Amino acid sequence: MMSAMTETVAAPADTVPMSQSAGRRTDLRSRGEPALWSLGGALAIGVVMILGFLVLVFSNGVATFIPKPLTVVTAIDGTVTAGEPFRSELYKPTPEEIATLTPDWQERIKAENGYASRTLYRMGNFDIYGEDFRWVPDFAVAKFEQPKNLLFFERMEWGAFVGTVKSFKIDGVDQAFAGLGDPKFTKVHADSRERAEAIRNIERGDIGAINHALDVERLALRKIELSAGRNSAEFKAAQDRLNSVSGDLQKRYDALTAEVQKLRAANAGNTLTLAEIGGREKTIEFSYLVRAYAANDMNLAQTLGVYFSRWWEFLSAEPREANTEGGVFPAIFGTAAMTLLMVIVVAPFGVLTALYLREYAKQGRLVSFVRISVNNLAGVPSIVYGVFGLGFFAYMLGGSIDSLFYPERLPNPTFGTGGLLWAALTLALLTVPVVIVATEEALAAVPRSTREGSLACGASKWQTIRYIVLPRAMPGVMTGVILAMARGAGEVAPLMLVGVVKLAPQLPVDGIFPFVHLERSFMHLGFHIFDVGFQSRNAEAGKPMVFVTTVLLIALVTLVNATAIIVRSRLKKRFAGSQF
Amino acid sequence: MTAPAESSAADVSPKPAQRPRRSMKTARSVLMADKVADWTIRIGGLGVIAAVFGIMMFLGLVVVPLFTGASVEGSAMSDKAVAGGHPLMDIVDEYKTLSVSIDEAGAVHAFHIKTGTPLEIPPYDLGGKTLTAFARTLNGRDIAYGFSDGSLRLATVKVAGVVINTTDVPAGLKQLTPEDFTDGKAVYTAVSADQTRRISVDLELGEVDQVAPEGTAIIAADYRLGGSAERPTVSFVTVDAAGVGRLSRSESKTNMMTGATTTSLTSSELPGLPKGVVVRNVLMTDRADQVFVIDAGGIVYRYDTREFEAPVLAETTDLLPGDVTVGAVSFLIGQQSLVVAGSDGSVNVFFRLQKAEAKTADGYMLTKAHTLEPHTGAVVAMDASQRGKMFVTAAADGEIWLRHPTSEQVVLKLKPAEGKPAYRAVALAPRENGILAVSDEGKVYAWDISAQHPETTLTTIFGKVWYEGYPEPGYTWQSSASTEAFEPKFSLVPLIFGTLKATFYSLLFAIPIALGAAIYTSEFVHHRVRAVVKPTMELMASLPSVVLGFIAALILAPIIETWIAAVFFAFIVIPAGLFFSAYLWQLLPGPIALRYGDLPKFLLIFAALGLFGYLAVLGAPAFEAVFFAGDLHAWANGAIGSSVPFTAMIAFPFVFLALYLSAEETVTRYLGFILRGPDRTRAGFTDLARWVATLVIAAALSYALAMVLVGLGLDPRGGVVSTYVQRNTLVVGFAMGFAVIPIIYTISEDALNTVPEHLRAASLACGATPWQTATNVIVPTAMSGIFSAIMVGMGRAVGETMIVVMAAGNTPVMEWNVFNGLRALSANIAVELSEAVRDSTLFRMLFLAALTLFVITFIVNTLAEMVRQRFRKRTAQL
Repeated sequence: MMSAMTETVAAPADTVPMSQSAGRRTDLRSRGEPALWSLGGALAIGVVMILGFLVLVFSNGVATFIPKPLTVVTAIDGTVTAGEPFRSELYKPTPEEIATLTPDWQERIKAENGYASRTLYRMGNFDIYGEDFRWVPDFAVAKFEQPKNLLFFERMEWGAFVGTVKSFKIDGVDQAFAGLGDPKFTKVHADSRERAEAIRNIERGDIGAINHALDVERLALRKIELSAGRNSAEFKAAQDRLNSVSGDLQKRYDALTAEVQKLRAANAGNTLTLAEIGGREKTIEFSYLVRAYAANDMNLAQTLGVYFSRWWEFLSAEPREANTEGGVFPAIFGTAAMTLLMVIVVAPFGVLTALYLREYAKQGRLVSFVRISVNNLAGVPSIVYGVFGLGFFAYMLGGSIDSLFYPERLPNPTFGTGGLLWAALTLALLTVPVVIVATEEALAAVPRSTREGSLACGASKWQTIRYIVLPRAMPGVMTGVILAMARGAGEVAPLMLVGVVKLAPQLPVDGIFPFVHLERSFMHLGFHIFDVGFQSRNAEAGKPMVFVTTVLLIALVTLVNATAIIVRSRLKKRFAGSQF
Repeated sequence: MTAPAESSAADVSPKPAQRPRRSMKTARSVLMADKVADWTIRIGGLGVIAAVFGIMMFLGLVVVPLFTGASVEGSAMSDKAVAGGHPLMDIVDEYKTLSVSIDEAGAVHAFHIKTGTPLEIPPYDLGGKTLTAFARTLNGRDIAYGFSDGSLRLATVKVAGVVINTTDVPAGLKQLTPEDFTDGKAVYTAVSADQTRRISVDLELGEVDQVAPEGTAIIAADYRLGGSAERPTVSFVTVDAAGVGRLSRSESKTNMMTGATTTSLTSSELPGLPKGVVVRNVLMTDRADQVFVIDAGGIVYRYDTREFEAPVLAETTDLLPGDVTVGAVSFLIGQQSLVVAGSDGSVNVFFRLQKAEAKTADGYMLTKAHTLEPHTGAVVAMDASQRGKMFVTAAADGEIWLRHPTSEQVVLKLKPAEGKPAYRAVALAPRENGILAVSDEGKVYAWDISAQHPETTLTTIFGKVWYEGYPEPGYTWQSSASTEAFEPKFSLVPLIFGTLKATFYSLLFAIPIALGAAIYTSEFVHHRVRAVVKPTMELMASLPSVVLGFIAALILAPIIETWIAAVFFAFIVIPAGLFFSAYLWQLLPGPIALRYGDLPKFLLIFAALGLFGYLAVLGAPAFEAVFFAGDLHAWANGAIGSSVPFTAMIAFPFVFLALYLSAEETVTRYLGFILRGPDRTRAGFTDLARWVATLVIAAALSYALAMVLVGLGLDPRGGVVSTYVQRNTLVVGFAMGFAVIPIIYTISEDALNTVPEHLRAASLACGATPWQTATNVIVPTAMSGIFSAIMVGMGRAVGETMIVVMAAGNTPVMEWNVFNGLRALSANIAVELSEAVRDSTLFRMLFLAALTLFVITFIVNTLAEMVRQRFRKRTAQL
């Protein structure tokens, strides 16, 4: 609109014939062209910042799971490095380093202002080398090779292995290795993995249930001890019951352990002996092998297969190797559960408050003061809510709940520490201003005439709100709620205080009564990023994982935001034209 | 909806009576629903509002105990006197059940505190010697007796509490209180239904060491235990009646083969003690490397005893004025502070500090660090805490004060209900929850106290505090350390400073970009471009801050560290390049400039940005060579190069602006006819030449100015630039830009957009250019909206947590150095709260930090909101 106007006003001034008034042109200074360009520059910088950021994150995140070729680098001094080229950068070699180089290289580095390029190789084999990564400067390289028989193995422990297959055994019998595609090889791998999965199910599921049952009995006993004392008849009865139950459970436990032992023994016979590039060998069980591929000898379909199977693992599996590998399923689950719980709390309360402020309260100084305050609360730092959540919800409320309902578990806190419920409530407090403001705006936008029409027809106040006002305000309400979800899903700082952990042993929802465990701590995608990026053994090794998680988190938040926009426009359309 | 419509139709009809009358009563269910809804909404609404305001209340409630002093929870006075009288020492066990005192003859007495019932304990066999000196460790567990014959004997007093099963408690106990029972030797306290605590006193007496010549009485002594378990050593210092000070060490060696223990004693004399000195106390540090001999008049002879065979008199100084004599003297835990209380009631704390002006042998001197509130009477007894820095002083006027030296406050003032007892010994319970005093005649006064947070006052949190080992008072945040004697330092000032520093630098970066972008979007691009650009910028706001922090700390920080010169150069090249491109654009003929004035020009700006950004990278080495002597990191350290070029660089924008504006009214006026002239190309070239000339002159001027400034000693190094750290404020400022820019941008763009269209139209119609319209009409009108945008952005920057946690390095330093990190309030909370023990001082301090953040952001946001409301009203009037 602006520029259109500019044209109409400015154009005649510039296009009038010279003869008319030669001296009455606009002074160049009044155009402010240089200032204008710096304003435009500011906008351009802003756009470049956001786009650059997104490109950086997405290119790294999407590329992480692509299987990269394995390179064997032989250095001039004879050291051999085999691994995936990870990244390259320019660096300044020290004068001592430069002094050892050939004159040719010295010239080249000098021409580059003292910079040389080097590449970081991800070598894997941490159990053998004691390091994952190695920098190789370009000037140190004697030759590159990409041997086709070099394989990439992903293991349950110790990270990746780069090397070749020396031999493998099925049930303790040596087999000839005929490539990764050998049906014998794939079958033994699949069988072993299946058994490992079975072991895991028994240990986590059945044995977990036994432990839980035993725990329940113990706690019941403790409860009786607290209420009736040690010398009471009830206590004796409960003790007997515990003894009989634990006897039964012990039997079941023994049976399960025997089964696990059997599976373990079956797996122990299926081993794989690998050799790294220097010839050192390492024998692992097939059950510890996640995936193997010939990085330098794959067609497109195989590459894609590896790529997507990695994505699937990332989305569906549990993390391993201190969260730097494996999947993030518990974190996705935790994020979703927490956000949903938050919405359940925040939506009704936010709407209720907005209704009160807009429809019920007398519009005066007090209400406008409250409104300003609620607006401001949206700007209160999230960490402050975290502090409040810890102090009030976890310690005070949770502490009271513990001493009232779970005295038998003390001094171990049940609700008296961070957990899913407290995290959701904290975030609900944090996001309730968002819902209130959005709902209020939506309510204000419902025309007075509609309301008056309804009341004039004899509808009660609640009927008016219920059937006339709320449906029309729904788009705004939904937008508010969804924006609150987006904010909640991306927030990390307060969660660090009220229940997020780096590794939760159990999901907050499982098959053990009461199925939803609101007191449990949980994992969260945002915290996962913080944890892997900052607190892992090797920040370099965790970086790819962080990028992928980042992509996932941004995608999630953007998806939720986009949903808000779509919902808003849909609902708006539905009510368009229904206005008086 | 339909029913009322029908009935209204009925009203209109001419024969209303014909139809059967419908009930005009509202159905009861409708009324009920209405009532229920009414109440639910009211209660729910008010509840949420109350909850939200409750947050502040709750934070406040947690914080309040920091500032309330200690309280007395009970007191007791025993009318039974402790046998012996004239106590030398008195100690209390951990559970405040027993007290053990030692009388002048060296006999040990134990009694039950609440009732004063004496307990039977086996006596020390001192061999009939006369006690002339007594020494103890801080916890009173290890003591030493000095005798008139010049010998010294070590002893231990162990007050041990063990928990036993109630069934194992012997029968026939005498009940003292509802919980406490005694068999005459030990006290049994019922802990729970089946557990009982047995507290008893065990005494052990060591060998006799002949330290001084036979027959010369020892008048003062102190000792420390050291060495390893296999080779224990005892170091002790004694002063005998002849005024000779001796440093002795006894070392025990156990022969591995025979199991026999041999003890050897070595001694050396302390030099320089004047003849006839009346020694009041001797004190020795834990590592036996310092010995303090204090005479009755408060003169301290401090010895450096690191060379055990040859102790050196390091310092002689008078700690008390005039004829004031020493009332009590003691180390505090950690032996860094020496408390000297005088007969005039004064209580002062001295630190041994390394000072340049010290004229002492070892370069250290005793410095008075804290002057505490004096008693009105002479101080007669003192006891220091075993777990903190608190200590109690008892005065001749019957007052007993609990003090904390660092906060310089008297935490608690106690006085018995009646009488003015002459105290001989006072004791602070090991858990700092009780005070016990014994008077000369053996009367016992006991108080149960609670002193949770003696170390915090408003002054210690927001003012300068002199901590042990620090050369001067300062602002320090250091909440935990490895040693037990460490005193946590809680000053919020460095954290508030960190928050402000992060906010300042990030706004310095964000405001120009956000506002520039907002004005350009609102005034100078086509609305279709705006429809694309604005959501793109707003997308930035939805990026989770943990992601920004991760990218900033792990990706950006190393890049910036390597390319720091290029980053700096870009700050010069990109603005200069944009200006240059603008002047080139002016050379275009009018119609062409107009036709491509919208999107193509914007794209051209992108191109210019890319081009000059690339040039900045290319030119960085040359730039680094000229401005930073070839190595920015070393230059920032102050190792190489001169500060003049950099100072000139900082001064340049200001000089340029001043020059440009002053030229506007003088020189440029004469160029006006060309700039307005018909020949646009000529006008363009003139303008370009004018700009280049101004640039050159400004560069020369600012270099001259920098020479003068640096000559005057104004060096930016050590100030805004200093030692480079990888995770620094520059990185934080940039990353925080991602969080702050979209907020300022969106709100101010909205403000600019709501300026009524007719103002814009009127301005343009009067012949103003879009630029003139923007600067003279639109921006001033939207000013308050823009201001409120900046305030909201600031609120976000103040509270931002994850970015500062990850990218700021978290060092609580107070300097404006862009190349160093910071520790912000929010980051501090995030890092420390999960480790803080509930209701500890740290826990409450972090709540105070949260409250501070809350208050800051609340003020900033309220200000913004008020300005915005005013702005709304004003635009509504336009």
